[in-house]
Amino acid sequence: MELRPHNFKMDNTKHDLTKPISDLKEKWLLLPEFLKVKGLVKQHIDSFNYFINVDIKKIVEANKKVLSDADPNWYLEYLDIHVGQPDVEESFTVTRAVTPHECRLRDMTYSAPITVDIQYTRGQQRVIRKGLAIGRMPIMLRSSNCVLNGKNAAEFAKMNECPYDPGGYFVCKGVEKVILIQEQISKNRMIVERDRKNLVSCSVHSSTHEKKTRVIVIQKKGNFYVQQNALNEDMPVCVVFKAMGIESDQAIMQLIGTDENLMSLFAPSIEECQKLEIFTQLQASRYIGSKIRRQRGSWGFVRRSRTDEAREWLATTLLAHVPVIDWNYYSKAVYLSLMIRRVILTQLGQLEVDDRDYYGNKRMELAGGLVSLLFEDLFKRFNTELKKIADLTIPKPRAAQFDIVRHMRQDLITLSLNNAISTGNWVVKRFKMERKGVTQVLSRLSYISALGMMTRVNSQFEKTRKVSGPRSLQPSQWGMLCPSDTPEGEACGLVKNLALMTHITVDVEEEPTKRLLFNLGVEDVYMLSGEEIHSLEGYMVFLNGNVIGVTCDPENLVYTLRLMRRHGYLNDFISVCTNRAHRTVYISSDGGRLCRPYIIVKKSKPLVTSEHIEELKRGMRSFEDFLRGGLVEFLDVNEENDCNIALDESLINHKTTHLEIEPFTLLGVCAGLIPYPHHNQSPRNTYQCAMGKQAMGTIGYNQQQRIDTLMYLLVYPQAPLVKSRTIELINFEKLPAGQNAIIAVMSYSGYDIEDALVLNKASVDRGYGRCLVYRNQRCILKRYANQSFDRVMGPALDADTKKPIWRHEALDADGIVMPGMRVQNKQVLVNKSCPLQTSVINKEQPPQYQDTPSSYRGPIPSMIEKVLVSSNNEESFLVKMLLRQTRRPELGDKFSSRHGQKGVTGLIAQQEDMPFNDQGICPDVIMNPHGYPSRMTVGKLLELLGSKAGAVEAKFHYGTAFGGDNVEVLSKVLSDHGFNYLGKDCLTSGITGESLEAYIYHGPVYYQKLKHMVVDKMHARARGPRAVLTRQPTEGRSKDGGLRLGEMERDCLIGYGASMLLLERLMISSDQFEVDVCGKCGLLGYDKWCQLCKSSKEVATLKIPYACKLLFQELTSMNIIPRLKLKPYNEV
Amino acid sequence: MSETPNSMMSTPSGRTPGRTPRPGEVPVPGQPKAMVYICGECHQENEIRARDPIRCRECGCRIMYKKRTKRMVVFDAR
Repeated sequence: MELRPHNFKMDNTKHDLTKPISDLKEKWLLLPEFLKVKGLVKQHIDSFNYFINVDIKKIVEANKKVLSDADPNWYLEYLDIHVGQPDVEESFTVTRAVTPHECRLRDMTYSAPITVDIQYTRGQQRVIRKGLAIGRMPIMLRSSNCVLNGKNAAEFAKMNECPYDPGGYFVCKGVEKVILIQEQISKNRMIVERDRKNLVSCSVHSSTHEKKTRVIVIQKKGNFYVQQNALNEDMPVCVVFKAMGIESDQAIMQLIGTDENLMSLFAPSIEECQKLEIFTQLQASRYIGSKIRRQRGSWGFVRRSRTDEAREWLATTLLAHVPVIDWNYYSKAVYLSLMIRRVILTQLGQLEVDDRDYYGNKRMELAGGLVSLLFEDLFKRFNTELKKIADLTIPKPRAAQFDIVRHMRQDLITLSLNNAISTGNWVVKRFKMERKGVTQVLSRLSYISALGMMTRVNSQFEKTRKVSGPRSLQPSQWGMLCPSDTPEGEACGLVKNLALMTHITVDVEEEPTKRLLFNLGVEDVYMLSGEEIHSLEGYMVFLNGNVIGVTCDPENLVYTLRLMRRHGYLNDFISVCTNRAHRTVYISSDGGRLCRPYIIVKKSKPLVTSEHIEELKRGMRSFEDFLRGGLVEFLDVNEENDCNIALDESLINHKTTHLEIEPFTLLGVCAGLIPYPHHNQSPRNTYQCAMGKQAMGTIGYNQQQRIDTLMYLLVYPQAPLVKSRTIELINFEKLPAGQNAIIAVMSYSGYDIEDALVLNKASVDRGYGRCLVYRNQRCILKRYANQSFDRVMGPALDADTKKPIWRHEALDADGIVMPGMRVQNKQVLVNKSCPLQTSVINKEQPPQYQDTPSSYRGPIPSMIEKVLVSSNNEESFLVKMLLRQTRRPELGDKFSSRHGQKGVTGLIAQQEDMPFNDQGICPDVIMNPHGYPSRMTVGKLLELLGSKAGAVEAKFHYGTAFGGDNVEVLSKVLSDHGFNYLGKDCLTSGITGESLEAYIYHGPVYYQKLKHMVVDKMHARARGPRAVLTRQPTEGRSKDGGLRLGEMERDCLIGYGASMLLLERLMISSDQFEVDVCGKCGLLGYDKWCQLCKSSKEVATLKIPYACKLLFQELTSMNIIPRLKLKPYNEV
Repeated sequence: MSETPNSMMSTPSGRTPGRTPRPGEVPVPGQPKAMVYICGECHQENEIRARDPIRCRECGCRIMYKKRTKRMVVFDAR
């Protein structure tokens, strides 16, 4: 990324120049440096890298041994696992490195082999095998194992890859798939809530690699109970304490707290335990054991005793994340007591309930985590499969020795991973997890839509529930999630986008932090009694939701930890925060936390100085150096609460701890495109965020190499005249989507009402808004089981003229269209025919073929851009054709500025009729001024001013959020160049030749052409296809369907009394059918004969809708007889 | 029934089950005719017969593109 020193100074007026120059004017320069190492899509890549390099080894380490019941001497042990570089099988054993683009073109999966080193027994020998493939892992683009990793732009170009492509997605069967960021409530943390009956409960979702459980402490009739899925009924807490070895009531009470109020509220629970006559650990265990739900269908399982089951439950299921070492439940007991304590204190009003929507209580699940979940399950299944094979095969006497390697098949892991990523269905049976729509196809409408997709955050909430909490803007999402970028409608507020500087953490090893904590004087919780834990001077210390111990000097602890983190002794992403209400220090090192960097402020002075920035400019410093030097640090949402963060330098006071790097980074990628967004009404920015993703333009440097199902490109894209820092940072200028149109804000002709635009015909002729629409069509030639295959034939010739028939006109001698040809509706692209017999081998006759041509469909002819011929592992022969249409703007095409101001073309006026100014400048677009007052998009007015000023002095202006060039500067430029300083012009009407009475606001504005075009939507039909079942017209444009006269339209006609029109619309023009009805029995007859009455005496013929006849027959088939009563029409 | 150019048989869908009229159909004779394709990697021209593996003789690339038509194509400038 370029580090151009930005020309702030040039924009400054003289007044500003006299002021002493502020030290940190260019602190935003940290941003491009930051984006080099973190942010935007790096979280996906980081998380996947973590999985592939670290987590996968941990998973294998945890499941490293496979033993067999059949032979105690037999074993299989995994020594190591390794994910290789993506490759493709060339012939049987030869592989070759593959590029992502080749996978896209050939519809393959971009994946790398997973190899393991194993040690196992073969007969009496112990064998070590290295590099044994067990499956293939789809590889995320730009991850550490991707071929693109660490390559420069030239190397990217060589591989047909765009250097600005964000990466972070997978290529699965030729389709680009993104694993969306999933937002969910934190695991392993206490959440205190109030239910509808105003009762307080405390719940914990425990999640470890082995188990996922949920425990709730509830209150019922003044007693406290533990609720857990494995229990038949709610368990009194005191019983649980006793089962955990804390038998004395005093100890229990001390754990919870010996405050008067606490004791009085907890006393009934102790009493209840007395009434149950449970006094010892054994009694309690028995009681719990009797309430545990027995798992049914467990084959051949040794029935364990009740106490064993209770013990197991306590150790592994209840609060699974709290470790139990040597059956010592003390830390678990402390944790449980704390849950109860929180509930009581909240009940008493001394604590607040937790906010589920608070971002400190949320975690983001990323691609790495999700794939790891899947892989762990698959690896376990793979091993049980091996065990099953070993159990079955070892006892059999066989000639060859049993060799497990022969049974290690690659397809289980490969297929399941591919399948999950390409369908988006995440099924992990062990955790009862069944999620749909985890992955989505990467939208390539524009560069921004692809980038926007990579930062998208999906929340697990149900979309139908009508609660406003999760949907509304949370104060804690400041700087982490974009406040503007969310869809409208049902997913509003549930789908969000990351802000520019957000980073999502990955897991960090706990153990060193824990050791450090003890060294810093934290007293181990195992050593402390309840009384000491809750003593008034002590603060509890939590690490990732687990109680570690108690410290007497929390300030010092927090200070030291932060100091060590700033100096690089602790991981940058470990967060430390104190919660005074809870009297706890929370330390988190888990993955999925949202965090962002801040400049550290000490003694009211930011540590980053202009010297540092100067070094940065000269390339002597990187972002890493700022981090290492303790000048900048990452804060997560929880730690932000402990800090005083100044928005800019002028706001720093003696309490300030941090300084914002740049306030515009609180917006995301899409909102960053908007110039002057802080001058717009906020919903307008939200609308633009949605529309920016539909804008046509460029999608990447490799766009001409791609063969996508649908691709919209602009013929002459332009970089915006008013840009923002975000635009520079994300390289929007290099891959723009829009054009700077000269607009005149005025009324013209009446074809511009309701936001319609008037386009200048000459501008359209010159190429304004001209776009290319690429579509692809593919055709596969298969081979079948009986050695027959699909064949492609050359064009059929007309008998008389000896020329190819019309349908085959575009075909080449090989039966595939030639590039450069124009194809029309129903012309054949690939003249394929399939064999009729595909299973039986018939040697006598030559196989019979049926024509199954792949032909072009569409009212507008297309040009064949290119034809690719290739093959892949599944299909032996693959033809992909790229079809192109060039479209000029027409009436009804949709355009929009960058301020949520969309409109359709209402008129394309001759240039002669357009107004012009004294220089002969004539607008490209005329926009109705009524678009402004109600929308309040002042940003658009400013953009026009900025563009105009930029155009006259041949430079770009800035419209960065909370900054940007101000009106005075821009007006000055305009007046210096002889323009009106308000941006208005005196225009002359092209129609009358008179000057217009008003001055017209007139200048360039960046306009986007949106993908909605009339040609793709226009549809009309008089007669056409009908559905087979109901004989009613088909539905939808694609099926040439009818235009529906719906219920509400019907109601209108009823109200009007237009009965004949109704009859015509709903029956005659739809599915009229003549039936014979017997007037005697009222049933349907046939051919003027009633089969029931065996007569044709009273059979009448009438016209009813076919669907009605169908209904009668269907009812009859269900033993309900509808009878029709007939009367002559004049007797009604 | 012979199909003259530009006379479109109106069939309900684009894909007609059954055979298209065959009078003049010249099936590619028994020995597949070689066609020239251009390699996507090295741009070498390769002669490939029907049912040959698709692979460049020079670089081993498996992506081939068809050559552009030799027929005259007229665009109307709009």
